[in-house]
Amino acid sequence: MAEAAGVRGRAEDYALLWSLVLVVAVLSVLPLARLLLEGIAPGGALSAQALTRVLSSPATWIATRHSLVTALGGTLLAVLIGGTVGLVVALTDIRGRNAYVFCFVMPLLLAAQVVALAWLQLFGPSSPLLAMLGIAPPLGSRNPLYSAEGIILVLGVQYAPLVFLTLRAGLRALPQELIEAGLAGGGGPMKVLRAIVLPLMTPPLLAGVALCFVSCLGNFGIPALLGIPGNYLVLPTLIYQRLAGLGPGALSEVAVLSLLIGFIAVIGIVAQDALLSRRDFRISTASIVARPFELRRWRLPVEVALWTLSVVVLVLPLLALVLTSLVPAVGVPLNLATATLDNYRFVLFDHAAAKRAFVNSFGLSGMAAVAIVLLAVPLAYFLVWRRSRLLRMVNLVTEVPYALPGVVLAIAAILLFLKPLPVVGWSLYNTVWIILFCYLARFLVLGLRPVISGYYQLDRTLEEASQIAGARLLRRLRTIILPLVAPAAAAGALLIFLTAFNELTVSALLWSSGAETLGVVFFSFQQGGDSNFAAALGVLTVIVSIALMLSTLPMAGRLPQGVLPWRD
Amino acid sequence: MKVVSRRSFVVTALVVAVFAASPVAAQAPKGKLVLYTSQPERDAAQTVAAFKRVQPAVDVEVFRSGTTEVMGKLAAEFAAGQPKPDVLLLADAATMEALKKDGRLLTYREAKVDGLDPGSYDADRTYFGSKLITTGIAVNTAAKTRPAAWADLAKPEYKGQIAMPSPLYSGAAAIMLGTMTARPDLGWGFFEKLKAADAVAVRGNGAVMTAVANGEKSYGVLVDFMAFNAKAKGSPIDFIFPAEGLPAVTEPVAILKTTQNAAAARAFVDFILSDEGQKLAVSMGYIPARASVGMPSWYPAGAKINLMPTDIPKVVQANSENLKRFAELFGN
Amino acid sequence: MARLTIDRVGKSYGAFRALDDVSLEVGDGELVAVLGPSGCGKTTLLRQIAGFDKPDAGRILIGDTVVSTPERQVPPERRRIGIVFQSYALWPHMTVAENVAYGLDVAGVKDPERARRVNAALSLVELDGFADRRPALLSGGQRQRVALARCLVTEPSLVLLDEPLANLDVHLRAAMEREFARFHERTGTTMIYITHDQTEAMALADRIAVMDKGRVLQAATPTQLYREPADETVASFIGEGMVVPVQVLSVGDDATCEVDLFGLRVRMRCANAQKAAAAARACLHASALRIVEPNAAGLRAHVDVAIYQGGHFRVEAHVDASPDHILHLTAQEPCNLAPGAAINVAVDDGWIIPAATKD
Repeated sequence: MAEAAGVRGRAEDYALLWSLVLVVAVLSVLPLARLLLEGIAPGGALSAQALTRVLSSPATWIATRHSLVTALGGTLLAVLIGGTVGLVVALTDIRGRNAYVFCFVMPLLLAAQVVALAWLQLFGPSSPLLAMLGIAPPLGSRNPLYSAEGIILVLGVQYAPLVFLTLRAGLRALPQELIEAGLAGGGGPMKVLRAIVLPLMTPPLLAGVALCFVSCLGNFGIPALLGIPGNYLVLPTLIYQRLAGLGPGALSEVAVLSLLIGFIAVIGIVAQDALLSRRDFRISTASIVARPFELRRWRLPVEVALWTLSVVVLVLPLLALVLTSLVPAVGVPLNLATATLDNYRFVLFDHAAAKRAFVNSFGLSGMAAVAIVLLAVPLAYFLVWRRSRLLRMVNLVTEVPYALPGVVLAIAAILLFLKPLPVVGWSLYNTVWIILFCYLARFLVLGLRPVISGYYQLDRTLEEASQIAGARLLRRLRTIILPLVAPAAAAGALLIFLTAFNELTVSALLWSSGAETLGVVFFSFQQGGDSNFAAALGVLTVIVSIALMLSTLPMAGRLPQGVLPWRD
Repeated sequence: MKVVSRRSFVVTALVVAVFAASPVAAQAPKGKLVLYTSQPERDAAQTVAAFKRVQPAVDVEVFRSGTTEVMGKLAAEFAAGQPKPDVLLLADAATMEALKKDGRLLTYREAKVDGLDPGSYDADRTYFGSKLITTGIAVNTAAKTRPAAWADLAKPEYKGQIAMPSPLYSGAAAIMLGTMTARPDLGWGFFEKLKAADAVAVRGNGAVMTAVANGEKSYGVLVDFMAFNAKAKGSPIDFIFPAEGLPAVTEPVAILKTTQNAAAARAFVDFILSDEGQKLAVSMGYIPARASVGMPSWYPAGAKINLMPTDIPKVVQANSENLKRFAELFGN
Repeated sequence: MARLTIDRVGKSYGAFRALDDVSLEVGDGELVAVLGPSGCGKTTLLRQIAGFDKPDAGRILIGDTVVSTPERQVPPERRRIGIVFQSYALWPHMTVAENVAYGLDVAGVKDPERARRVNAALSLVELDGFADRRPALLSGGQRQRVALARCLVTEPSLVLLDEPLANLDVHLRAAMEREFARFHERTGTTMIYITHDQTEAMALADRIAVMDKGRVLQAATPTQLYREPADETVASFIGEGMVVPVQVLSVGDDATCEVDLFGLRVRMRCANAQKAAAAARACLHASALRIVEPNAAGLRAHVDVAIYQGGHFRVEAHVDASPDHILHLTAQEPCNLAPGAAINVAVDDGWIIPAATKD
């Protein structure tokens, strides 16, 4: 009978929902719970010792304050840069748009440490650029980047592409007629921007802000390079210092500090949720996408400004990397006599680990990107359209593995998977699969946030219409919802791939011979003083990534509009 | 004199031969050996390759990272109750002392320590120094003046030009801190002067080397082999042996009590301490623990390097106090 | 058999009562309009019927099947109904043909049957040749018709239309009204037509359910609503009826009665149960009012305004005996009435609104 069929239909919905919740619980809650256990019951016995020690230490609160300052500052800067560039690229008629987007997104490919190092050299007394411009600071003066401001600057520049990607996916859904209505109402472009575009873009902007905030909070590489020399510690570097200083006894303190980071991240997300749930951002017309504003006499200056930004942010660090990769040893001046490709030869042919690392990193990042997006689309469906208290908790909990420093997540994974899995008896430890688990747990939120903002812009009657046509949930997800959130989902997948490809701190603890990743090999070279090998590896990584991005172009015609951000 | 009959002689000889042979046969190392080490990447690879030539039946699995990462991984494994490694090869003895105090290390009484300086291995035979890594002053060849002693670094011409590895993150640097602050001619005053000279404490020796070779900082507190290996490849960097002497770490090797393959673990320790293993260290640019095998090419011929003695137990005891004080001194 | 039965359905959102004890029966093949101002609950009712929301009280039956109770609901995909949404809800990533074919795809209908039915549906709405267009490039009217075709291609037993003409131009509306009427005749589908526009409702519906503040005030044929409104709200809503106080003097046998209206004696229609009453309310329509010579029987009034409406004037005047009560009526061209002019209004007909029974 129809009623029985109705019950069955509902049961299918619930089955999907609960299996999604289970997956999220395993990915996000399990590592956290294990950490919590370690914090309050190290070695199996309940003890508040670590808790009191950490919470009463002034170093903890100083580092917390520093974390908040750098995270908020970095986010603000990233929104300014990424948001402005996103609006200009999407809404104006600048030329070379596709090439520019390509270049703007690329810094995500460079590991944060590489970028920070390049900037340090740029601003330092031995910087060839500053010497050329005649404003090189005198030898011996303190590098201005070794400061909170320096950290904020590099963080903001590093994460501007995050905001850019989520915003651009959102701008794709903006119909022409809304802008025309604003212009017809007598407002100039700036007024239309302020009164119509920006308010409607609140969900993607907030998604970008939230992602940025959590990224800055959990970033280790930049404060490690720029903050450690001046002992300006943020929570991730404080954790690292505790690990370094206390050795095996540090774990419970590390666990407590990690939970503190997670707590701050969750507060940020609760705030974002509260802001989003107040208003309705749905765009229900199916008209053509907004065509750009004409810049007229402003066009050339704007293009120059944009490309200058890209040169500073991308080209200069890349150039520094290339130059370093061509010298036989650090510090040897580069000229025709000294230039050599030996570093490349070593990395490509003599160093088996580097080759394995390329394959591993590519495979792991690709798998993570695809798996997470496939998980995120149905999960976001329930989070946005079937609200409940449980689901809101699920939403919050996915943030935490990303906010935690990678080293902490790795430790949690070790604690969880050291012994073989019960029942099946497989051991994930010291295989690539434990790294994949951490990638899935860590980057879930990178896929989820853009997809959620995509849902906020969808008119639900489109789904209701397909329900009336008789389609059950899985079919609706596949035929109606997925194509409509595809641009947002693709932005998320790209983000995941690029971030995972270069990440270091998670795999630093989890890799083993055969399961190396690019970040780990790079880090090993740097630590050992072989920065020329590291540079060669870095350049090869960038080349491979560019090749990957270019290889998607022939397929661009068959993908839904907006899936590849560098193709209009 | 009892005449030993020929038959009993042969039997005895056979028994002795069998008896002598069987421990070797029973203990012939094979199977898997897990090594956790903080050596630089290439050195770790070479050590393992050389060991495999000596013990082809042993399959070595290596985890290599910074000391902090290795200790973090080890800590997690201890907490989860199933440590993986059989042998550790870490930068400094202080870390080993901590592990020994926790009862994690296996005693290896039979280790062949002949020819090794008694200060380089644990009296209870739980860890053994594999080489000698000294810390001196690295200088960019373009620098105008060169310090001759540690105390020189406090002079005005060196202000803002010094990089050093932070003891908060580097075990070797922590030993250096403990060793130097215990000396009356240097003490904490020396570090206070370094701070006044705007010295920058970076994360690890690799960063120091990069900074000095690039010319960002003209002077650095650096380990010997890194400076000399870079110089050999053409980097514009030189190494100075300061007059007061050089603090040193021994990069000890140790066996974990929870080892799954004690025979192979012992064979590994044997290899490290053997002449072959020591000669390998020399070829990689390190001063060996057994001086009789020779010195690396950069070692000043005929001279003897002035090493600062380190009282390991004292340094270990004062460590957390020292680190706290250093953090306060060099904090912003 | 009733195609749709709504049985005492209630729905609250917090303190706000969106649906209050709503009951309605729709016969097989009927076109029932649900008419009411914004916020009256008609969209909420539609979503209940479709299954997008669940009721707090009551039941809904489609045919003999209970589809909604507070405890259990049949999901929308199982109800075999069709909806034409107010915003049309066409899927932008599909062509017109794909939009229309979707329901058939779900049901597993394959080509050539599928193609045949899609083309038939498109012909029905006069959109042959539009099969490969994208919705973004269609006009409002065309999208409307695609939505209708998509709805009808699966031949549902019940079709809900949510203010389908609201977004169309005026002249298009008239044409689409005729379209709907033709469909209904041809296919005999049961239709529920949600609207706030009474002319639409009157033109199309077999019966109209008037809703206000979450309640069904009256469900009856258009004529009945116009001639015999059940309460004051319906009276003043339908046909712009004027509600006036009267005294019922005597009740006749033929469902008429004698009333006193501001001093004028008028014969009005009334319900059979009507009794004489000192204070009652009556409903007057403009069609029953005439301007007559000053000495004929009528109400004295003064003109407030006379608005030209092409061929006739709409005259609004306040009654001398009770200046708060404004009457409006039609005067044919030519009409020289200026504001302030005195007129005499004859009342030919009226309806005594039954007193509200307190139960």
